[in-house]
Parts: sequence; C-alpha cells; structure tokens
Amino acid sequence: MASGQDSAGTTLMDLITSDPTAAPASNSSTAPVPPSTLGKPATTERKSKRASLMQIQNDTIAAAKALNPVKAIPQRQNRKPVSYAQLARSIHELAATSDQKVSQKQLVHHVFPKLAVYNSVDPSLAPSLLMLHQQCEDRNILRYVYYYLARILSDNDAHGLSPGGGIPTPNWDALADIDAVGGVTRADVVPRIVGQLTSEASNADVEVHARRLAALKALTSASASNSEVVTKLYEIVFDILEKVGDTKQKRKKGIFGKQGGDKESIIRTNLQYAAISALRRLPLDPGNPAFLHRAIQGVSFADPIAVRHALSIISEIATRDPYSVAMALGKLAQPGGALLDVLHLHDVLARISLARLCHTLSRARLLDERPDIKSQFASILYQLLLDPSDRVCFEALLCILGKFDSTERAEERAAGWIRLTREILKLPEAPSVSSKDNNAQSKDGLPPKPKSEKSGLKSKRPQPLFKLAMRRLESSFRSFSRPVLHAAARVVQEMGKSRAAAYALGVVGIDEGSHIYAHSDNAESIDSDLNDGSQSEAARRALSLSNGPNGKDTIAGLLASLMEVVRTTVACECVYVRAMVIKALIWMQNPHESFEELKDIIACELSDPAWPSALLNEILLTLHARFKATPDMAVTLLEIARIFATKSPGKIDADVLQLLWKTCLVGAGPDGKHTALEAVTIVLDLPPPQPGSMSGLTSVDRVSASDPKSAMALQRLVQAAVWFLGENANYAASEYAWESATPPGTALMMLDADKMVAAASSRNPTLAGALTRLQRCAFSGSWEVRIVAAQALITIAVRSGEPYRLQIYEFLHALAQGGVQSQFSELQLSNGEDQGASGTGLGSLISPMLKVLDEMYRAQDDLIRDMRNHDNNKQEWTDEELKQLYETHEKLLDLVSLFCFVPRAKYLPLGPTSAKLINIYRDRHNISASSGLNDPAVATGISDLVYESNMPHKEPDSIDPELAMAWAAGLDDGLLGSNAPAMDRVNEFLAGAGTDAPDVEDENITSRPSVTYNDMWAKELLESYEMEEDDARSSGTSSPESTGSVETSISSHFGGMNYPSLFSSRPSGYGVSQQSESKSASRFGSSSAFEGRGSPVREEPPSYSASVMQRSESFENPLAGYGGQSFNQRDDEGTSENPQFGKALYDFTAGGDDELSLDAGEEVEIDYEVDGWYYVKKKRPGRDGKMAGLVPVLSCLMMNFKNMDEFWAFYVSQHSKASTRRLHFLGTLSSLLCVVASLVSGRWILLLPAPIIGYSLAWYSHFFVEGNVPATFGHPFWSFLCDLKMFALMLSGGMDKEIKRLGKRPVL
Amino acid sequence: MLLAVLFSNSEGNILVERFHGVPAEERLHWRSFLVKLGADNLKGAKNEELFVASHKSVYIVYTILGDVCIYVVGKDEYDELALAEVIFAITSTVKDVCSKPPTERVFLDKYGKICLCLDEIVWKGMLENTDKDRVKRLIRLKPPTDV
Repeated sequence: MASGQDSAGTTLMDLITSDPTAAPASNSSTAPVPPSTLGKPATTERKSKRASLMQIQNDTIAAAKALNPVKAIPQRQNRKPVSYAQLARSIHELAATSDQKVSQKQLVHHVFPKLAVYNSVDPSLAPSLLMLHQQCEDRNILRYVYYYLARILSDNDAHGLSPGGGIPTPNWDALADIDAVGGVTRADVVPRIVGQLTSEASNADVEVHARRLAALKALTSASASNSEVVTKLYEIVFDILEKVGDTKQKRKKGIFGKQGGDKESIIRTNLQYAAISALRRLPLDPGNPAFLHRAIQGVSFADPIAVRHALSIISEIATRDPYSVAMALGKLAQPGGALLDVLHLHDVLARISLARLCHTLSRARLLDERPDIKSQFASILYQLLLDPSDRVCFEALLCILGKFDSTERAEERAAGWIRLTREILKLPEAPSVSSKDNNAQSKDGLPPKPKSEKSGLKSKRPQPLFKLAMRRLESSFRSFSRPVLHAAARVVQEMGKSRAAAYALGVVGIDEGSHIYAHSDNAESIDSDLNDGSQSEAARRALSLSNGPNGKDTIAGLLASLMEVVRTTVACECVYVRAMVIKALIWMQNPHESFEELKDIIACELSDPAWPSALLNEILLTLHARFKATPDMAVTLLEIARIFATKSPGKIDADVLQLLWKTCLVGAGPDGKHTALEAVTIVLDLPPPQPGSMSGLTSVDRVSASDPKSAMALQRLVQAAVWFLGENANYAASEYAWESATPPGTALMMLDADKMVAAASSRNPTLAGALTRLQRCAFSGSWEVRIVAAQALITIAVRSGEPYRLQIYEFLHALAQGGVQSQFSELQLSNGEDQGASGTGLGSLISPMLKVLDEMYRAQDDLIRDMRNHDNNKQEWTDEELKQLYETHEKLLDLVSLFCFVPRAKYLPLGPTSAKLINIYRDRHNISASSGLNDPAVATGISDLVYESNMPHKEPDSIDPELAMAWAAGLDDGLLGSNAPAMDRVNEFLAGAGTDAPDVEDENITSRPSVTYNDMWAKELLESYEMEEDDARSSGTSSPESTGSVETSISSHFGGMNYPSLFSSRPSGYGVSQQSESKSASRFGSSSAFEGRGSPVREEPPSYSASVMQRSESFENPLAGYGGQSFNQRDDEGTSENPQFGKALYDFTAGGDDELSLDAGEEVEIDYEVDGWYYVKKKRPGRDGKMAGLVPVLSCLMMNFKNMDEFWAFYVSQHSKASTRRLHFLGTLSSLLCVVASLVSGRWILLLPAPIIGYSLAWYSHFFVEGNVPATFGHPFWSFLCDLKMFALMLSGGMDKEIKRLGKRPVL
Repeated sequence: MLLAVLFSNSEGNILVERFHGVPAEERLHWRSFLVKLGADNLKGAKNEELFVASHKSVYIVYTILGDVCIYVVGKDEYDELALAEVIFAITSTVKDVCSKPPTERVFLDKYGKICLCLDEIVWKGMLENTDKDRVKRLIRLKPPTDV
C-alpha cells in the first residue's frame, strides 16, 4: 500500500465519494481515514490500537476537513467524503425507518456500499443490522445485512483485522473498552447474531430457503475457534443433509444445473449445496463416520459446486484414512458410479479433487490387499489425463508422477516416473478392451457409456500414458496464455524430478529408447500388470518386444521433441515463465548429456537485467535440489552456478552459492574434488569487471558487473570464494598434516622457496593451485579480500604438512614485513597503496599467525634437539620432561585451534616425530587422546550446545577417517547445523515450503545481519573484553584500517575461539598465553549467554564436539564476521545510554498478545520504540500479569526528562506539522497581545483570555492536526517555556533549522 | 488456498482486497509486491490478458480489466491455472455488474455490489461460485438455482 493507497494522497473513500467529473488523482483532499494512521501505511494495521484511540477524534477531523477551504472542491450532494461515523449514524437512523422506500434506497445505494470500504464493521451496528434482518423485506438490503453480519462474525479479535481488507478501522473492542462507541463489544453482539442466524438457518420453511442459505453462509464466517458456533453449525448442516442428503431418486445431474424438474427438487438441490458448502468450511472430522457418509452422499448431488466440495472433503479425509474412504466409496467408483460421472462434471475443481482422491487411494499402503480397488482408482486417474481442462490434466499428471504435496519421497517419485512411462490407459468402457477384460474391475455387463468418448476414436484404443502426456504438454507449450505455459513448465519440472529420482534410485534399468506404444494385443498381460498395481517383468518384456526402429515413439524421442518445445519457450517475455522453464531444463538435464545448450541459455538469460533477484536465487536453489537428487552432476551444476556468480553477482545470495559449492565439493567424490575446487577458484580468476563494457554479453566468462553495486557484490562473492578455498582446500586436496601420505623429511626444509614451490606443486597440484590463487588474493584484492585470504592461508598452513606450511610461512612473513613482496607478484603496484613499513596493511593480522607458526617451528626444533640429546646420551625420557613436552603440545594445540579446527587427537603441532613420546606420556597418565578438556571451544561451553543437538549422530571411537576429513573441513552435509541461514533456505526450498510474503526491495546489497551463534558469541566476547579493558582503545568504533576492527572481524569469524585475549589483552604475551587463556576462558564461561557449562571440569567430551562447532562455524559467511563490528557499535550505543523512564498518562488495555496493559500513573522503563509503539518494561506485573510489552507512544506515556534540552527535542517532535506550529504561534501571539493590551490599558480583566486563547488554539492543533496529546499535560512549565522558545524561533525564522538539527538526533 | 484477491486502480491504489490465511504483517509485502508487478507489466496490456508470477510455492495470476487491475494469489490446489479460473469468474462477474470493462468511476459506483459478488465467488479462501448468473442471483438473495 505504500505505493498504493497513499501514493496519490487519496483514500479509497475519497475515490468513491469524489466527484465523478474530477479526476481522482487531482483530488488532493486528504490524508487517509482515519488520519491518525497517517504516514507509513505499513503500520496502519498493526497500529490499529493506536488508531482506536485516535478514532475518537475522527468525527471532528472530518468536520474540520470539510471546513478547510483548500479541500472545498466542487462536490455534488451525496459525494462528500463520508466518515465512518456518519455512515454508522445513517444506518441507525435508516434502520428505524426501513419500511419506507426512501430509506431502503438510501441504504442500498449509498450507505451500505460505502460501508464496504472499511475493513471491519463496528459491533455497535449489530443491533440495527439485526433489526433490519428481522423487519426488512427488501432482498438487496438483506443481502448486505448478511454480508455485514458475516463480517462482524469473522472479525478476529486481535487487531480489528478481518480478511476483508479496506480502509483500516480501529479495534472496536478496544474502543468499546474506553467507551467510545457506546461500549458494545463483539462479545456482546456475537451471541445475538449467532442466535438469530441459527434460528433462521434451521427454518425449514420453503418460502424463505434463500434466506436460510444466506444465513448458513454468514454463520460459517464465524471463526473456527468459536466452538459453540461450530457445534451449532454441525447440527444445522447435518440436520439439512439428513433431510435432503438422500439421493435415492437418481436425478439427471451435472452440466445443466437449471434443467430439471419440480420446485421441490430444486429446493432440495439448493439446500444440498448450501449444506455441503458449509460443511466444507467446517473443520474436518475424520474420525466421524457421519461426516464421511454425508460427504460421500454429496458426490451424487445435482449441484456441481456441491459435488466439488464433497469431493474435496473426501479427498482430504482420504489422505488420513484411505481405507474407510475406499470402502465407503464402494460402488460409486465402479463404472456407472457417481465418481465416473464427475469426470464429465462441468467443474474443474471437482475434477481436481477427484484426481487427488484417486491418487491417494490408488497409492494407499492400507489398500494393498485390495488391488482391484486400487486399480479402479488408478484407471479413473488415468482417464483424467484426457480431460479437456489443462488444469485437471496437469493435476492428474502430477499425481501420476508422485507429486502430491511437498512431503513426497524419492521412491514415490521414482515409481511415478515408471508409472508414467510404462502404464497404459484403457478406457474401461471402450468395447474393444472391456470384451477382453476378464477382471473383476470391469463390469462386462454394463453397457458402455456413450457420452464418455471425449477424445473421440483415439481413446478407444489403449494409450500409453506417456504419449498422452507428451502430446498434451507439447500442445500446452504452444499456448499463448502465460499461466498455461508456466504450469506446463512446472509439470515438466516435476517430471524431471521424478525422472531424476528414478535414476538416482536405479529402480529400473531405464531404457528410454524403448518403444512405448504397446499394442493392444498385449492387453491381457498389461491388464494383469495394471491390477498388480506395480510394474511387472511381463509388461516390460512385452514393451521391449515391440521395440521398434521408429525413433519417434520412443520415450527418448518423445522427450526430445518435448524439450525442443520447452527450450523455445525461453523466448517468452514473462520472466516467471522463463524461470520456470529454466528450472524445468535444469531438472530435465541428464548427467550424461552435454549441457552446453543449457549453459548458453542461462548465460543469455542472466544478461537480462529484468530478472528479480528472488527468482535468480530460486533457480540457484533449484540447482541445489538438482544436486541432491543427482550428485553426479556436481561439476555441471557448479559450472552453471559459476555463470550466476559472474553474470549477476549483485542479485544472488552468496550464502546459498557457498552452500552449493560446499555440497557439490563433498558430493563430487574423490575424482571430482579437484574439478569442483577449480570451479570455485574460477571466480577468483575472473578479470575485474570493466565498467560500461557491454560487449560479449553472452560470453560465459565475462563478468557483468558494470555498475558499482554489482561490482561490490562480486567483491563479496570473491571474499566468499577465498574463504571457501581456505576452509576446503585441504579437503579437496586430501592433504592433511596429520594424514600426510609421505611424511616430509627435514631435508625439504632446507630447500629455498622456489624449489619448495616446485616440489609442492608436483606433489599436490590441487593444493598448490589453491595456494597460488590465495597468495595472489592476499596481495591484489581489496582490503576485505586480503584479510580473508590471509586467514585462509593460515588455515591451510595449519592443516597441511610440509612443504606447504613452510611455503605459506615464508609468504606470510614477506607479507607482514612488506618490501619483499615484489618477488611474489607485480600486482601490488597497481593497488595504489602505501607499500611502506606496514606492507600490505595486514601486519597486525598476520603477526599473531606468524607467531603461532614460529612457536610451532621453535618447539619442533627444540624437540629435535632434545631427542638428539637423549639419543646421544642414551637417556630415557623422564616423566618430568615428557610432561613438559606434553604441555607444549597442548599449548600449541590450543593456539592452533584459535585459527582453525584441527582434530586434537591426531594433530601433532610438534611434528610427526613427537607422536611416540606424546603417546608414552598419555599412556602413563591415562589421558585420552580425544580429550578436549582444554580446548577453548569446549571450555567456553559453546560446542556443548551444538554437540548436544547433534549427539546421536556419531560415535567418537568409530570415526571414519574420510568422514573425519569432511568434518574437519566442515563439510559433512547431514550434520550441518540448522542455524546456517542458507541451509534453512535450501531446506525450505527443498521441502517446497515458503509462502511468506515476497520482499519487494531487491536492492538490498548490505549483508544482512545474520545473528548466528558466532556473532552473538563474538559480541559476548568483545563486551566482556571491553568492560575489563580500561585501555582507551575501542575496537568496535575504530576505522576499518585499524587493528581494532580486524580483531572484531576475526574474532567473530573464528567464533568459538578466545581471540581477543590473543590480539588485544596480551598482544605480545605468547609465552604466558596459556595462563591468560584459561583466565579468559573462565571469564567467557561465566559471562557467556549460553549456559552450557555446568561444571568447570567436563568428563571427557568427545573430540568431535569441537568439530561440530567448527562445522556450524564454517558455514558462516566470512562477511557475517563484519557484522560483528556493527554489532559492537550498536552495543556501545546501547550501553552508553541511560534507560528511559516514563509514566502512563492513561489506562491502556492490551489488545494483543504482545501488548501490555497499563494503569494511569504507572512507572515504566522504555526499552525502544517501534513505529509508534514503545516496548516497555514494568517494575512489577500489572493487571494482565505481564511485565513487558508494547504500548502506544502517544497518549500513554510521558518521559522523565532530565533537563529542558531533552524535553525540547521531545517537544519539537510533538509539533511536527507546520499547521500545528502555526496554530501555536497564533495562540502565543494572541496571548501576548492580550497581556500587552492589559498592561497598556491597565485593565487586568484582559489578562483572562490570554491563557484561554493560547491554550485552546494549541490544544486544538494537538488533538485535531497533530493527533497527539499536548505536552502541557506532562510538563506544564517546560512546555510553556518551549512554547515561547518555539515562538521566538518561528519569529526569527530559525525553527526549520532547529527541526532539521533535532531530526538528526534520535529523540529517545 | 486462495491467499488473496486484490483490485487496484492503474495508479496502484488498492480498491478491494480480500486476504485469507495471510498473516497481517505480510499483507503489506503482498500489496506492494503485487502493485509493483502490475506497474511493471500491465502497462499497455490487453483487457483480460493473463499474467503470471510466482514466489516460492505461491502463484500469482493477474490481469487488467478496464482501469482496474485484478490480482489473485493462491497456493496448493490453486495453482496458475486454477487461479486463471478464479480470475475468469471474477472478471466475468465484474463485467456483468459494470456492464462493460469498467472505468475506475464505474467500478467505484458499483463498489458495494462488487464486494457482494466477490463474497459469493471467494468464500473463506476457496473458490465458490463461478457462474456469473448464479452469482447475480445470489447477490439478490435468490436461491442459486431458481425455482
């Protein structure tokens, strides 16, 4: 509505009542009604409470508006904008004189139609409506009366929100509470309305049966939560059906509702219709046999809509209780039964329900014993494929494919594909078939039904379903109607899903080259096949027997021709259709086929700027779903995903893309890993976008990021890719320090850098490639990219064995020192930065990394020296020495764990040679290798939370090494924490869920503040750190280049580690870091919001707990880390501000769950403001027992201001409108004049009008212009002074400046 | 489930809206989304030419009739094609009430009647009557099948 109702400054009521000669747009008359909801309509409905309070003024405002000369546009009589209150008044008046023609006319033509504009009707109108209902004879009036009664009934209690929409109206009940509308609440009138309608609905008098139907309909509007009404409705409905539901005398039914007989049967039909329709709106009662019985009777009713409702009730019950439904349907499903008549019923929705019903029953496990019944329903379902309506045909097709709702399983889908490709439709009534049919299902005795030959001669012959379906789809794709195209593409997509499922499960050796047209010679074998309800060998043999050379009739041939048509549909001008087509193509893409064409299509499509980002992300999610279905396609899909990354970086969600990379990497298998990683790194190799270059739009490799926004987004993608590379390169390369295939000799370390690189790349090209790219990024990217690249490098350094670690060490060293980097890359010359002492500006980030590596190398050296000493002296290692060694080992582990996850049990920071000694010590002291006692992650208690939620998944002792790698890289798909936002989206998408409203702003490029664990924790960390640190350095608010924000980003990125202690508390304190860590760890433990840490000593937490944590952490977008910075800032603001206190001015009654009742004078603490509401906390629970909740800003609270300045800001905010201020000015001026006059004339009596004039003008402006409460009520003296100040400022012309000045600063 | 039926004028002012099963806080999003869709696509469209869109598992079909844009949103069994049926029922009834594709003025003059018709066509999130004659009878409080 933001662009809607208010854009032209007019409301619906204005439009309706405006003069027909005046163009509606030129009618600049008013703000919306009620005016209190001015401003953002976004909040109008939410603020109905506030609106209710303002409604009091409504009348007067309307009057004021009418007086306003600006708005006195020429208006004819009856064309004046009418306020709600005027309408209500006229209803009361006209209801009293409803017997007069004039009032009837007035009601029908003016009052009721205008009232329809409002979204709800005030309960105090109910008595008049009921009076009309009883006394009035006029049908038109009565119809409106039913309409409004229904609206009062359906109005739900919360916010005066009814499904009706329209101009927002207040919450009438709240209004009644403050006795503004005569104190009538819904609770008062609903029983009366229900009573009157019920008695009417039970009235069996034939003459009034139309009113009876209307009353019944109105009653169903009452909310289902009102059990009293529901019970009554059940009674009435069953009562009616009792009388008319019996359809023993078979009537002609269906297509021509009007035709047919006597008055009695017509009335019967009408009643049947009304009763079944009402029943459909009532809650299902699956256990109730009467309910089912009545619904099944409904199938035979004459009214098509009644049949539709009956069928949809039955099909819903069938999903829960197929057996009893099938039994109850019994004969109806047999040839000649009512269900078959539905096939020809002139009602699309009825046939859709029929398709669903048949599908449910033909697939029901419970009915396995009764294949005859199942095949009956299956045959009806297949016949629906011939339906003239596309909608029905597609529904039948989807049902056959096993797509029923979002819960279907892969097996269902696979079976669906087999059904579609194998089964054959035989019309039971076709003589050629039924004569051969020796089945119980087909009643040979029954005469064939002539009218059923919809598709002429062809349908007499058995038809392969697949051929039917293909033909139908192809013709649909030639349609000009967009919905048909969209739906057809969707069906093809579903077909692709089923096919993928069939392939994935390998249920059948699918031979798409086989000839599908089985001749009716094989009818018998196929019959038996059909009756088995499943695919049998016999049929397949029969099918393959007739495998002919004619390619046209093979499945592959038919599919190919269909896909040809589908591809041409990509030319449709509607993006939604195109999106659906692309999804269909992705799904129909076979892993073994070339995907060049698909790639070209997508690349071509993505160059079109018209694509909304939501749609692109949906396609990305489709890729994900496709991957889940067919992991073989990982590389193909990555290629496609890359097109997205390069073509429309600004529109796609980096989280989702990363998730796709990740799952593809895992799924690609050992051989594909390298390719998968390459696909990711290609993003890094992209040339920087050339602004304005429009050439080569269709080239896949060219980046289309011509505007700054997409360039930024591309930057983010690069960051994501770099981070991803760091996290996963080791996994992809299968290179781990603790699992190295060839433990490096010390000789390697003697090599110089160049030779080392050569050696490394020969050993593991994947990792070497990744390293090269990361090194390049660490130099040449933007600041953010370089940080992430450095982090990625250290991760790889820690995880990989030699020579990679040394290579990275060298590199980082150079990077930190600066000056020497020219030997690595020439690119730094172009980034225009000072290459001085700070090098690349990453010094502060890199130095702790280097220190860790230094520590490790030093400790390794020490160890080697010690070992040599011991060997030379032939000395045994003493326990004391071993202990020292072990402590070093643990300390280094802790340090390393700060940077990335490593499996503690396996990781040997002291090098492979230390393994033996460490083990000796462990054995002696019974220390379990998997002990994570000192793991900072465990100590802080975070991993416990994740660990507990994932506990059942695995056993610590039986870690499969390959799996452990996957964990280490944070890759294990099944265990992904559910807190990863992208994962949620994917899962939601895969489940087919998600009906929430679309977001119109696709312009949003700022990373969304994903409040994950890590952020929360980082915040926690930083807070406690800042509190303790009296150092003036504030890490959150410093400029991006400073170390502070680096820390912030890192610490939030490395979520579970106590980073701040490393970086800030003890910048150089590595030697004592053990101590400081334990200190900080305990600090975090106590200050942590996650109370996972029951006791300080944990009993042997399994090692994977850390890995679990790491997994959830590694999902995090690296960018989310930067969110931590702002987080922190916000926090600073939050803490620096003192709590605001306020006092309730009036009693306020909560109208919703989140609202809070207040008593006048109550003191509250104001937390924050959300569009016109304060979130407040009370000191003790109020009358509704709540401590905190929302209350309207206006009228309810006043602030405890500390000084006049604070009050002045508030005062100005309360005088936001120019007219308000002008009236104040006028008031003050006249008061001053009075004072002056009395001084001059000496007549003191002249002083008397001064305050009266002044205040009345001011208050008038508050109540009727500004729509708030005068500040005088709270602070009479200050507000008087502020009044004078405002007067002076207005006089001097400084008021606007003042408003601007204050506008920048939050008032609260 | 028919989630929403919405009428707007060509400037994007909302004339009639009926929601069902849409949480209050999402309505605004739907409104602006639909109005934006209309503003983007309905310029110069023929009367009753159907347009389609989707968002997640929700389908949207919309069209223009005279000066009035009509949007229908549905999910589950109300897919694009079923929504096309719904919109057809609505347009034929509106045309019937206004006796031709309505100008905004005519539409607003017949506002009450259109609300009643809509009440007969869409009932609690489900399509009810599709036949315009039947709707016509029902809004005059005559039985659906006349005696």
